[in-house]
Amino acid sequence: MASRLLMRRVCSLSVRDFCRRPVTVSSSSSYSSSLTSSPAVQAFVTRSLLRPLFHTRSVSFNVQDQEDFTDRVVNSELPVLVDFHAQWCGPCKILGPRLEKAIAKQKGRVNMAKVDIDEHTDLAIEYGVSAVPTVIAMRGGDVIDQFVGIKDEDQLDSFAKRVSE
Amino acid sequence: MPPVENDPGREQIRSRIKELIDSSQVLVFSKSYCPFCVKVKELFKELNVKCNALELDLMENGTYYQDLLHEMTGQKTVPNVFINKKHIGGCDNTLKAHKDGVLQQLLGEGSEVYDYDLIVIGGGSGGLASSKEAAILGQKVMVLDYVAPTPKGTTWGLGGTCVNVGCIPKKLMHQTAMLGTAMQDARKFGWEFSEQVTHNWDTMKTAVNNYIGSLNWGYRVSLRDKNVNYVNSYAEFVEPHKIKATNKRGKEMFYTASKFILATGERPRYLGIPGDKEYCITSDDLFSLAYCPGKTLVIGASYVALECGGFLAGLGLDVTIMVRSILLRGFDQDMANRAGDHMETHGVKFIRKFVPVKIEELEAGTPGRLKVTAKSTESDEIIEGEYNTVLIAVGRDACTGNIGLDKAGVQVNPKNGKIPVNDEEQTNVPHIYAIGDILEGKWELTPVAIQAGKLLARRLFGGSSLKCDYVNVPTTVFTPMEYGSCGYAEEKAVEIYGQENLEVYHSLFWPLEFTVAGRDNNRCYAKIICNKLDNERVIGFHYLGPNAGEVTQGFGAAMKCGITKDQLENTIGIHPTCAEIFTTMEVTKNSGGDITQSGC
Repeated sequence: MASRLLMRRVCSLSVRDFCRRPVTVSSSSSYSSSLTSSPAVQAFVTRSLLRPLFHTRSVSFNVQDQEDFTDRVVNSELPVLVDFHAQWCGPCKILGPRLEKAIAKQKGRVNMAKVDIDEHTDLAIEYGVSAVPTVIAMRGGDVIDQFVGIKDEDQLDSFAKRVSE
Repeated sequence: MPPVENDPGREQIRSRIKELIDSSQVLVFSKSYCPFCVKVKELFKELNVKCNALELDLMENGTYYQDLLHEMTGQKTVPNVFINKKHIGGCDNTLKAHKDGVLQQLLGEGSEVYDYDLIVIGGGSGGLASSKEAAILGQKVMVLDYVAPTPKGTTWGLGGTCVNVGCIPKKLMHQTAMLGTAMQDARKFGWEFSEQVTHNWDTMKTAVNNYIGSLNWGYRVSLRDKNVNYVNSYAEFVEPHKIKATNKRGKEMFYTASKFILATGERPRYLGIPGDKEYCITSDDLFSLAYCPGKTLVIGASYVALECGGFLAGLGLDVTIMVRSILLRGFDQDMANRAGDHMETHGVKFIRKFVPVKIEELEAGTPGRLKVTAKSTESDEIIEGEYNTVLIAVGRDACTGNIGLDKAGVQVNPKNGKIPVNDEEQTNVPHIYAIGDILEGKWELTPVAIQAGKLLARRLFGGSSLKCDYVNVPTTVFTPMEYGSCGYAEEKAVEIYGQENLEVYHSLFWPLEFTVAGRDNNRCYAKIICNKLDNERVIGFHYLGPNAGEVTQGFGAAMKCGITKDQLENTIGIHPTCAEIFTTMEVTKNSGGDITQSGC
């Protein structure tokens, strides 16, 4: 698994680097010219507009697919708490909002990703999820901490704080 | 002779060696006088494998061969053995490979190297059990599972019929109905609560399906933990050892395996009349139906029909069951009719000897309104009826028609799609096996499939020889009054042993719990069929009463041990229970004695 994770990070890093170059251009020249300069740039701009990383109002987002997970979790510059949950799981419905609250208190120092394990089974299987809710903390693509089951608000606060430091 | 570097013949010999390696199943570079070479050649002779031996000492340029072989394989000595292009080594290596079974594998599989040791088609009870067991035994295993949506669009997760649209939701909904009865009883026991009691279909459906969701996930995790490769794709054979797997996006992948287990199960059969697929539902749809079905017509008298009709009536719905001929075909008819009678006295309507000919939609909705036209099986009489929901439960068809079995050469009974197997679950194609509901003439029960699958994997990969025993399988039908049985139905026992050689003991009984509640007196019934020629051994066990599954399981174990009537009598009962009736049965059917219970 480790090697696969590393591979993914490497692969997507190169994609990101490729995408970044035009952004630098766009900041030094006019926005519209960079938009028209190449389809790749256009794609990136559209994507980054759709997926604002640093100016989000909501503290959490739903992971859309494997690629989205790589983009916004594995390659995130901020640490990310990943909440693996399921529709059929009662405790998940209690934990989710509590976790969002704890994340909000960290004022943008940590993000939260939500993964529905039935929609994204491969991700959950890959990250060793056996029961839900499972919350893993990721920084720089590495799993740095995790817990399974429900926790009270104080415990979640200290968990989020620890991860954001 | 020293090797000559620039000999133009050298490259010629090299390509000759390559050619020999490529074209021989077994190739031995040997020397005629070498005792180790003789040993190796004898081994292949013993294994009855054709062995191509080159005696280098008898060849003019043998030394060149030996020198080049050294260069190519790093091995200087003879014998130098190749099997199916693979370099094995010398005498010791070859003998060791034989001892470890590697040699047989290399020989047996020809030049083919398969992706998997075992591919299991179907992720139901049998498929999961066999694949996990094979993986535990160190095999490389793949399971493919794909649920084709019903005509209504219903689909579900991993685990097969039992978990998703069978045993599990069925029993939970049966429990829902029994709680309704319990609430009625409760008043008699002094519980007081407001008169208004209603049932919320959506709450029940969500709760049941949430539990199923957790089971689906549990199965997925256990496959990961056991290192079984799971693929959510539809599998079909394209060659005897190769399948095509198509996922829901239409992407095709191909996989090969040394062995296969077919465990595709069955799906509900439709009637083939106008409107059936358009407007009717089956058990595949019922358990996750988004709305309460309302006034329901159940078509069929299978256990699925009676169980579903039973719990729907128990929820307070208006339920009618349309029966072509008999109830619970294959089960003891005396018991089946008693179970049916109990349903009838509790408000389920039966239309007997009629078959539907047409279903029409009067009004769409959730539920809508349907018009059912049915025809008598005995006359030209036509009847019509209006229902909110029509549930078809007339039997199930094996999912064997569209998995490329013709390409693999697997024989299928053309009448019912079932697969004949020998007593080791092997089909006519030696490397393809089958388990579960698709087997010809075997039980359609989850625990049977699990047992067969597990034992099959152990025989294939664990050196076991234990076969699945399909005799004396206990089972229970969860009709409102549950019916548990093990062994022969009375009519089957008569057919096999003859009436005169059987003694049938029977008794009605009134569960203590029903007495205060004041219901169902002389409804519950117990019966055992004993073989007079064999020490009155119990060959048929039948129980109609509460907790039939719990009661029958234990007696099933006793029958496995060959319990006799005498031993039953010598067993002390647990008082007060229903099951204790079996320790005190005195009245035989032949005697015609009274079996009704009266008084205290």
